[in-house]
Amino acid sequence: MNKLLLTLMALFVLVLISAIAGLNFGPADLSYSQVFQCLAGNCVDKISQMVIWQVRLPRVLVALVAGMGLAIAGAILQNTTRNPLADPYLFGIVSGAGLGATIANLSLAAIGLGDQLSIALPLAAFLGALFAITIVIFIAKILQQMEQLLLAGVAVSFMLGSVTQFILYFGEPFATNRVIFWLMGSLSRVEMSNFYVIASVLIVTIVAIIALHRQIDALLLGDESAKSLGVNVDKLRLLMLGLCAALSATIVAYCGGIGFVGLMIPHIVRQVIGVTTLKLVIGSALIGGSFLIWVDIIARSALADAEIPIGIITSALGSLFFIFIMIRTRNTN
Amino acid sequence: MSIQLKVDQLSWQINNKTILHNISFNVSKGEVIGIIGPNGAGKTSLLRCLTNQQKSTKTSLVSGNVYLKNKQINHYSARELAQHFAHVAQKAEAIFSLTVIDIVKMGLLPHKGLFAIDNDHDKQQIKLALKKVGLADAQKVNFNQLSGGEQQRVLIARALVQKAQTLILDEPTNHLDVYYQHQILNLISQLSITVIMTVHDLNLASQYCQRLLLLDRGKLIADGSPEEVLTDAQLCKVFRLPCTVTKDVLNQKPRVFFSLPTQLTPNLNGAN
Repeated sequence: MNKLLLTLMALFVLVLISAIAGLNFGPADLSYSQVFQCLAGNCVDKISQMVIWQVRLPRVLVALVAGMGLAIAGAILQNTTRNPLADPYLFGIVSGAGLGATIANLSLAAIGLGDQLSIALPLAAFLGALFAITIVIFIAKILQQMEQLLLAGVAVSFMLGSVTQFILYFGEPFATNRVIFWLMGSLSRVEMSNFYVIASVLIVTIVAIIALHRQIDALLLGDESAKSLGVNVDKLRLLMLGLCAALSATIVAYCGGIGFVGLMIPHIVRQVIGVTTLKLVIGSALIGGSFLIWVDIIARSALADAEIPIGIITSALGSLFFIFIMIRTRNTN
Repeated sequence: MSIQLKVDQLSWQINNKTILHNISFNVSKGEVIGIIGPNGAGKTSLLRCLTNQQKSTKTSLVSGNVYLKNKQINHYSARELAQHFAHVAQKAEAIFSLTVIDIVKMGLLPHKGLFAIDNDHDKQQIKLALKKVGLADAQKVNFNQLSGGEQQRVLIARALVQKAQTLILDEPTNHLDVYYQHQILNLISQLSITVIMTVHDLNLASQYCQRLLLLDRGKLIADGSPEEVLTDAQLCKVFRLPCTVTKDVLNQKPRVFFSLPTQLTPNLNGAN
């Protein structure tokens, strides 16, 4: 059996272990055998059935697909833009989602429909994220340089971020707090239906990547090289950007801002598995999914009486990882 | 020999500036053709037009026709053209740690459907191509760690896997030392496929090309064997330098020597 297959199998086992650990951790004290019994449909009592099936399983599954999705989006954006710093969050997706969530939150609160937020907030966040990515693509089209996408994304991020902050500054304090907490990212309110939506977008994205992996690989040697192999570079880049934006926007809509996963995980996968698209995407899915499950475990178990927003942990780990990479690169050079 | 490519009165203008002017020639199967001329003569531009990479836009007008196997080149899809032409760039810079085999495998792209996986035949083709360019043991080596000559050979291996009938090379020896220049051109001339390349070094062109196209300011000045094209009078006129052409004692090919006129020699003694 070759090394690649063994590594992938080990990572798959890691996903299973992470998922089981995710189901076991939590305030309700359940043993591993109780968790397995519950999963097999033989829960010892109704409380453990509710805890496993309605609280922990949706949470673990959403963490799994969100981690997979963010890592895959990062990997594909990095390969299609030939930029190792590309990340779904740098394309204005989170700031767009933040603006959408802010507008929905404050306007619904203002007209007394605050209880409709469970539907309106993810929808507004999703629309905000798509709005942001549309502006980014529009700017890159005007410049006629798709490689300027990342810079356009950073500019749009700051622009929409300032609009959000302006609205929040004058907004009602309770609604403002809710938006700020949402922007920090959390899996505490996710439901099984969220998993189905994210998983559907994830599957569509993965199928498209499998179909076009050779074309994405061709970009790794530059646009001219890819064109000479028959690739329509601009169309491919636009399609991949659109898919990654939809995937990230769906995740952000349900889970809030979870930064650095898309930047950090593909870097690790390249060291362990390889740089070509198929290897990178499979590795990113497995490591990204496991990573976010463990981050969520830390988020809900690090403090005795409160949850830490998940985005705070990923950003802290991500920034440390980033500094580590910079130092290592410098030493290697 | 059957005609593969026919260029008929090809011209290219950008904002009324002539890049190529009324160029016509045919390319037969298996020919090794060198495009020569001074900087700005239109060598790379001609290569771009031959492979339909340059199309008319608001500011740029391409006229005339290029026929590939009697069919106009703009009637072929990008994928069909990639099955016919393989490009080898002067220099390629791989992002991330792409290995030699990752790059050679890219050659399969024009022949593969969306969900197709690599089969045993593909793997065999890749092995053969790497063997042909002398890199059979370098499959897992990081491309960016190879020398310029080795990188060129990897790109040629990719072109072989691409199964293209015509190899297009833009200054293949530009970044190479003398040893690798000869190694690469010798390899190219022995591939038994049609080759069209731009070459700066006239003596290398003379030694390795069966036919030369001499360009100057977008015009085709001469088209023929190295003996017919590399003449004192023509080269002196095109390169605007005194020139002597002799015969190489080893291979009997023309050998070109330029001498610098005194008014162009920098006055080093007078420099402060």
